[in-house]
Amino acid sequence: MNPNLSRRRFIKAVIASGAAAATHAGMPSALAAGAADDATKGGVERLMSLNINGKIRRVDVLPQETLAYTLRYKLGLTGTKIGCNRGECGACTVLVDDIPNYSCSTLTHSVRSRGVLTVEGLQAPDGTLHPVQQAFIDELAPQCGFCTPGQAMAAVGLLKDNPNPTREQARQALSGNLCRCGAYDNYLNGVMRAAGGKA
Amino acid sequence: MSNYKHIGKDFVPPDITGKVTGKARYAEDFRADGMVFARLYTSPMAHGRVTNIDTSALDGMEGIVGILTADDVPAVEAPNAAILTNTPVYIGDPILAVAAEDEKTAEDALARIRVHIEPMPFTVDPLDSLIEGGPNAREEGNVFSRSSEGSGFRTVKWTPQQIADFRAGKEPTGEWVNEWRYGDLEKGFADAAVVVEEPFVTTGYAHMSMEPRTAMAYWDNGRCYVYGSAQSQSFWIPGLARLLGVEQKDVVLISEHTGGGFGSKIGAYPIAALPGWFSKKIGRPVQLRITREQEYYIGSARVGFQGWIKMGFAASGKITAADIFIVEDIGPNATGGDASSAGGAVSLVYDPESLRFRGLPVLTNTTPRGAQRGPGQNQIAAVMAPLMDKAARQLDIDRLEIRKINAVNNDSTVYENQEPVTSAYMKEALDKGAEMFDWATKRNKPKTNGSKVIGIGIGQGYHSAGTKGFDGLLRITPDGKIHLHSGVGNLGTYSYASTTRAAAEVLKCDWEDCVIERGSTDANLPWSSYQAGSVSIFAHTRTNYVAALDAVQKMKQIAAESLGGNASDYDIDGKNVFNVKNPRQSISYGGAAARAIQLGGSYSGAVYPDDIHEITKRSVERLAGSGLIGVAKDNLEQNGVIPGLACAFVEIELDLETGKYDILDYVGIAECGTVVHPQGVEAQMKGGAVWGMGMASLERHVYDPHNGLPANVGYYQCGIPTYLDTPLHIRTAAVDLPDPQNPFGARGIGEPAMGCSVAAVTSAISDALDGHVFGRTPISRDMIINHVAEREQSFKPLQTNNF
Amino acid sequence: MASYDVMPDVQLYQPAEMDDALELADRFGRDGWILGGGQDTYGWLKDRAKHPKAMIDLNGIEALRGVRKSDDGIEIGAVTTLREIIRNETVNAEYELLALAAGRVASPQIRNVGTLGGNLSQDARCWYYRRGLACYRAGGNICYADSPQGMNREHAVFGASRCVAVSPSDTAIAMVALDATMVVQSVDGERLVPAERFFVGPATHITKMTSMRPGEILTAVRIPSTWAGARFYFEKVADRDVWDFALVSIAAAMQVDNGTIGDSRIVCGGVACTPHRLRDAEKALAGKSLSDETAEFVAPLASRGAKPLNYNHFKLPLLENLLRRAVRG
Repeated sequence: MNPNLSRRRFIKAVIASGAAAATHAGMPSALAAGAADDATKGGVERLMSLNINGKIRRVDVLPQETLAYTLRYKLGLTGTKIGCNRGECGACTVLVDDIPNYSCSTLTHSVRSRGVLTVEGLQAPDGTLHPVQQAFIDELAPQCGFCTPGQAMAAVGLLKDNPNPTREQARQALSGNLCRCGAYDNYLNGVMRAAGGKA
Repeated sequence: MSNYKHIGKDFVPPDITGKVTGKARYAEDFRADGMVFARLYTSPMAHGRVTNIDTSALDGMEGIVGILTADDVPAVEAPNAAILTNTPVYIGDPILAVAAEDEKTAEDALARIRVHIEPMPFTVDPLDSLIEGGPNAREEGNVFSRSSEGSGFRTVKWTPQQIADFRAGKEPTGEWVNEWRYGDLEKGFADAAVVVEEPFVTTGYAHMSMEPRTAMAYWDNGRCYVYGSAQSQSFWIPGLARLLGVEQKDVVLISEHTGGGFGSKIGAYPIAALPGWFSKKIGRPVQLRITREQEYYIGSARVGFQGWIKMGFAASGKITAADIFIVEDIGPNATGGDASSAGGAVSLVYDPESLRFRGLPVLTNTTPRGAQRGPGQNQIAAVMAPLMDKAARQLDIDRLEIRKINAVNNDSTVYENQEPVTSAYMKEALDKGAEMFDWATKRNKPKTNGSKVIGIGIGQGYHSAGTKGFDGLLRITPDGKIHLHSGVGNLGTYSYASTTRAAAEVLKCDWEDCVIERGSTDANLPWSSYQAGSVSIFAHTRTNYVAALDAVQKMKQIAAESLGGNASDYDIDGKNVFNVKNPRQSISYGGAAARAIQLGGSYSGAVYPDDIHEITKRSVERLAGSGLIGVAKDNLEQNGVIPGLACAFVEIELDLETGKYDILDYVGIAECGTVVHPQGVEAQMKGGAVWGMGMASLERHVYDPHNGLPANVGYYQCGIPTYLDTPLHIRTAAVDLPDPQNPFGARGIGEPAMGCSVAAVTSAISDALDGHVFGRTPISRDMIINHVAEREQSFKPLQTNNF
Repeated sequence: MASYDVMPDVQLYQPAEMDDALELADRFGRDGWILGGGQDTYGWLKDRAKHPKAMIDLNGIEALRGVRKSDDGIEIGAVTTLREIIRNETVNAEYELLALAAGRVASPQIRNVGTLGGNLSQDARCWYYRRGLACYRAGGNICYADSPQGMNREHAVFGASRCVAVSPSDTAIAMVALDATMVVQSVDGERLVPAERFFVGPATHITKMTSMRPGEILTAVRIPSTWAGARFYFEKVADRDVWDFALVSIAAAMQVDNGTIGDSRIVCGGVACTPHRLRDAEKALAGKSLSDETAEFVAPLASRGAKPLNYNHFKLPLLENLLRRAVRG
């Protein structure tokens, strides 16, 4: 290893925060050992700040940890669902800098310095539902509801990119989200309703 | 249509907001103090005997909390599934579990455990077991028959010639074990102007609910608290108590939301009891998270069929005889029973003059089977549709017309005993669908455009859609709130909520004054039916109706007692009980509730009817004294078969060069009596449509016969239909004619919603290919390509669980 | 049998400079895993079927991202996402074949983070291999798919050698059709590999899909202007239109003048262990018109020499049909 390689060159940005690191029962016990360990060996620094739903959260993150894992088990944001843990269903979809990602197949360390939006971040501060959430209710889109957070995030991602999609564009945009209940038609109606168009 | 205040009106189900905000909690979202994480070790072999489990590598390993093996849990009698086993009968059969302080450590431990398994013979295709010299899936035999005369293992073998003849499409001559019939079959065929005869295969496939069936449990004061993924609520308790070896009163099931079930979570399944046993052993709360791959193994699958059918049609188009023989792939645990239901569906939907059903349930070392949305009815719906088309062509009758000629109606008698139906309007459904779809125009449209061919199809679906005898329970509190206790599970159909609106209807109250009590068996729930089998709408509008009648009667009695006169002098207006002759003489619902508490007895639940279930009794006892209790068992009259019916019309554009097709139009019509919840019926019809499309062309089990390995353990290979495999719009409507045996005229619809779809698609594919009958689901791309290219199919005739 | 799905211990490096990445790749060699979008990484690791010691994440290296015009065509950085490619103006205007191919990869979320380098370097999807069995490709000495009862519907009809897995990449066939060159770097320098030689079959390397060696990083793809604005045809036939890999796919680039075909490069996916060029058809097409007659004339050439397995002979007519569609006009 080139001794001239400084840690700073490996890590592009670390948002400092005074907040204590979030911890959770169920976290690998090895974590208790100093989090700076890996960084001194040239790997990523485990203690990091994340921008989740507009809030800075300080978290101790394993190098290999997926975003879905961090969200659900370290930050208690269980709205993000794990359906397959393989990028084959879409239940774990979140937005990273407004773009839909499978959080089960995203390393938490790769979203450092980026904005993560989960289903918990969709409501306005006063509790008003996001238009997509309201439209999903109006269309009775969720059945079992397990895929719904992912569907909502894919829909919100679409509307950020294209506020006036055609139904076909909406279908394409949501196509990375499975719904075993088969509520696709209802979700599409919801997206079109949220976009202000006809269902 | 009606003047109901709630029935037939849409509403916002109370749990839906949590689903769109992420606040809805599913089993894996719960945590308990000191909880540990368990993971499963399952069988790598299709059939074997565990000879040694070596866990010595775990000695001293940090973070390991415990190991649970088959020796720690009750043994069960074959062919039933145990919680853990030492004689695995399929790849993925749970052998042991490890608990650790975190999941990664649990996985590290699994990697170090060595399990020695002595391999045993196995089979992944019923016909490979049925042939002389073929392997048996279990030591006890290769057939398991369940009947009222007794259930048991058998060993049934057919000669190679019998197997070859069956594969060649001839009437099976081998032994069968189940049979029922009605009418004069021989006369029926003698009278027939046209006879169609076809072999068929419907391949089983996994339920693959979105939520893997995680469960968590702990013990407190001798009671076991289970957080599970259940599609029923009260109905789980007897089975769960049995699995945990405790009394029903000592089990609490918390299941606020369930990420899909489709028949795979109707009753308590063994793995849901594992955390309870594990927690008992190690003294800490245990969560068992199930991976997607394991959900494939233990999450149940549809029964597969290999069959033969022969039908006679009179010149008029009427079916004079139907002769059905089905070899049923019932997996290793003899679960299913779809085949006889398929025979019943033929009897009901097409009302043939005579019918014979013969069945042979054969065990295979594939994932355990179970009820899956329209178990039996939907497989045979897919088989029947192209055959109805074939007969229509030969008789020169319109394909819609032949279905109307044979349509089940109010005068039909069905099944072996030729029972009546409560009501049936299939012809009306077909007419409505034909009009919406514009069948008359579409059937005359040009068929080809370059390599693309238009095909149109009609499908019909059926499942019995009701049951009776469950309990209703509600409570009016002094604040005027009406607490509607619903023990129906929460699968996503919202029937747990829509059925309680029957009580609100009787009470004439505002929906805003109602609170639904649900989600935990400690929420004082009544004995309720399973949330399955399309039964909950029929069964629980009735239970809510009788409980509400009881409450109304009690309020009237209280009013009479407090204000004078007789109970019959009083009526209700949704807020108050008032004297009909002098409306100013009134008492509010809340006032009546306060008075009920004072009066005690049956008013407050201190006394309750003898005929209610012990689960309801315990709930009433806990509620007693907290309000006015309305409680009753559904003893309303009910006789005959309660049919849920649906039909669908579909137009596809099939590309002969790629084997792919687009669905250009889909119209689904529900015939479920009075519509209780319009959006709910629509959602079921659309969801069922998508399921039918998956079964018709994508979903199937694939097993390598040489080593028993399954090819599709993940979502990718399972082929669940996506947004792009389903049409851009799905249109639905309902006949909306009341059934006389439900106080509101309602019946269920969940399962027929799928059967009509898979049937319409197989019918449309056949139409696009000049009437070719594949006699198989799914009809995959390669089959269409090979057919068009006039090449042999890759698989043997009647082969199953294959690509 | 365990069913793993938690990421096991593995180190992560996120270099910001190419030199650092190359040094890490060199240092870890076979134990290093070059990380693009990670969409064909985490499954292997969660399954504990591959055991790298370190992931070397290239996403922080700006120089590896984006589409640049060069003297002769374009250069696309290896960590450019498929989403960026699909939306890129130049690609759409001149090399639409690549945009069409990238647009048919997996699902929107996977295209959003999946990189061109990752899509080109992805591993075989044979279900036996993905199950973690010790087959030839996994270093063992058996092929489960090419056995008397093997379930091999998705496997190769051309060029198999012990292993019968197929090349799963949608963009790979477009790259071969566009005659792209792969830029491969290591601490020892740079080597340029024509796309056709970048992908290797089991006869060459049974455990690898590409000619990349340990310590090397695919940094960019160069597409020459030769085929800019040519007539393109892309089609992928899969079971589902999301997620699924091609049963058979075709990417065709044809120089067409007044309806007459000149040079062409026609490449198929899902039929061989590498992108499969239809050279006989390319030759036969020269001088022919885009027409139904030409389609019928060349179609049989597509499947010539094919050796189907038990469950995949449907790929022959499908392949012929896709060639027909590419040249029909």
